[in-house]
Amino acid sequence: MNLPKIVSEFRNGLAAGELLVQNCNECGKPNMWPRYACPLCQSENLGWLKSAGKGTLHSFCVLRQGAPGGFEADIPYAIGVVNLDEGVQLAVRLQPEGEEDWSAYRCDDRVEFVGKEDGRECALFRRSAS
Amino acid sequence: MAENWTLHTSPGAANDPVFVGVGEIRTGRFPERGFIEALTRVAILALKDAGMVPRDIDTILLIPNLHSAADQADLVFSRMVEELGIHGSCKSSYMVHSGGSTSDNAVRAAHGLIAAGHAQNVLVLQCERWGSADLNEMITMLSKNGIPGEWELPTGIQFNAIGAMITRRYMHASGSTPEEMAAICVTLRNWANLNENAMFYEKPLTVERVLSSQMVADPLHAFECPPMADGACAFVMTSTENAKKRGIGSAVRLAGSGGCVSHYCLSQEPDQAVLGWPLAAERAWNQSGWGPQDADLLEIYDSYAAVTAIALEGIGIAPKGEGARWIAAGNGDPGGKLPLNTNGGLLSAGHTGVGGGTALLVEGIRQLLHRAPSKRQIEGCQRAIIGGTGGSYMDAQILLLERTKPGA
Repeated sequence: MNLPKIVSEFRNGLAAGELLVQNCNECGKPNMWPRYACPLCQSENLGWLKSAGKGTLHSFCVLRQGAPGGFEADIPYAIGVVNLDEGVQLAVRLQPEGEEDWSAYRCDDRVEFVGKEDGRECALFRRSAS
Repeated sequence: MAENWTLHTSPGAANDPVFVGVGEIRTGRFPERGFIEALTRVAILALKDAGMVPRDIDTILLIPNLHSAADQADLVFSRMVEELGIHGSCKSSYMVHSGGSTSDNAVRAAHGLIAAGHAQNVLVLQCERWGSADLNEMITMLSKNGIPGEWELPTGIQFNAIGAMITRRYMHASGSTPEEMAAICVTLRNWANLNENAMFYEKPLTVERVLSSQMVADPLHAFECPPMADGACAFVMTSTENAKKRGIGSAVRLAGSGGCVSHYCLSQEPDQAVLGWPLAAERAWNQSGWGPQDADLLEIYDSYAAVTAIALEGIGIAPKGEGARWIAAGNGDPGGKLPLNTNGGLLSAGHTGVGGGTALLVEGIRQLLHRAPSKRQIEGCQRAIIGGTGGSYMDAQILLLERTKPGA
């Protein structure tokens, strides 16, 4: 199946170790998730900016049972919602600190982009050193 | 400031739509009970409750299921026309869908159809077989509902993960303790113990038991996750004019509604501890002239305790940050200040997918018709607030229902 261009470009960015945020070439505002037209000005003239990869953890969880099909082997894993400093939000995986340990994570922690989650088309984040 | 949308119907007006009957069968695990079989049974129960026969129905609205892609894809609404023997006379049949808030939107659809004259007698039907479905197939199917496959699904997110994130954000924002969150589950169980149709009827629960159950998705324990159930229910709406002609003495009308679709996928919600409830409530008050103090009972979506606590704050029943403590203090319990989810809710009557909200709505109508079993009937109740939400808690929907006397 051919992936839509916005999906393949976002994923190519992850594979290259970059977190890309869609940016409207008309109004200059960032969008996340990437859209087919800018939700603010409806322009289809859309590009990308490379995120600085810093943000705040809005919330997160550690899934220990009931993975969706294909994710069984990943259990346990932590999912978070990050509010990037660029002003957009996205869902990510969170890096454990030691063996399967996310116990030090808190809502509103400062977090940073690590890279692409191994084997998954999503971003991996960790707590920033304070 | 929310808009002030006038409802173009008024109490006693000929075209004012009213609820006149409900039907429901037991919620739990009934693998031998078929999908169409259950829909047929609740249809007939609701019609009998309304004093009607199938031929009286001109419009069938179906609430979808999430147990089976095949049952979802089929045109079950028109199959039900045939099963009830009204093919050839029924005017229209179709499905309404907004996930867990479908029942609220189905009411708006039926209300508009009746008020405008497109329909006279509308039958709304729901059946879900989550309790008997293949668990892995169901989790995978649910992972495609309110979760964008290209953006969020690669994280491995699913429904309990969504509930867990909302719960964690809510606990962080409000300072609610694990004990206070668990106490909400106990309140719901106390109501389920008065409902013979509930999955957990006569199965008492304690805070200690909740907190000692397995961790499923931190911070959610197993007993804080919704129990997947089979269930079915139905309701009938007609016009006040028809209700009068039929000699119906008591009915329930819609005093107003409000809603807000705050996101599609959870990562795009700006504040998981607030969601769409404040704007939905403001719209509902503007349309009805009601305030949070005007309800005799609440039927608010409760797939996770935090979802209900957040709604109570947005609706203004509890002060900001106090939703969980308001419930934990027993305010919503049997005999409490303001009864909450009198059927036991999704967490204790059973989560019947899209039907969990329908069951709460049907319970609210039943209470206002004064037809609940005496042990849980709220004596003399006149007004109820119904709250629903769908998908990844993408919307907040509020219906304000009041008892009325069509013949008076």
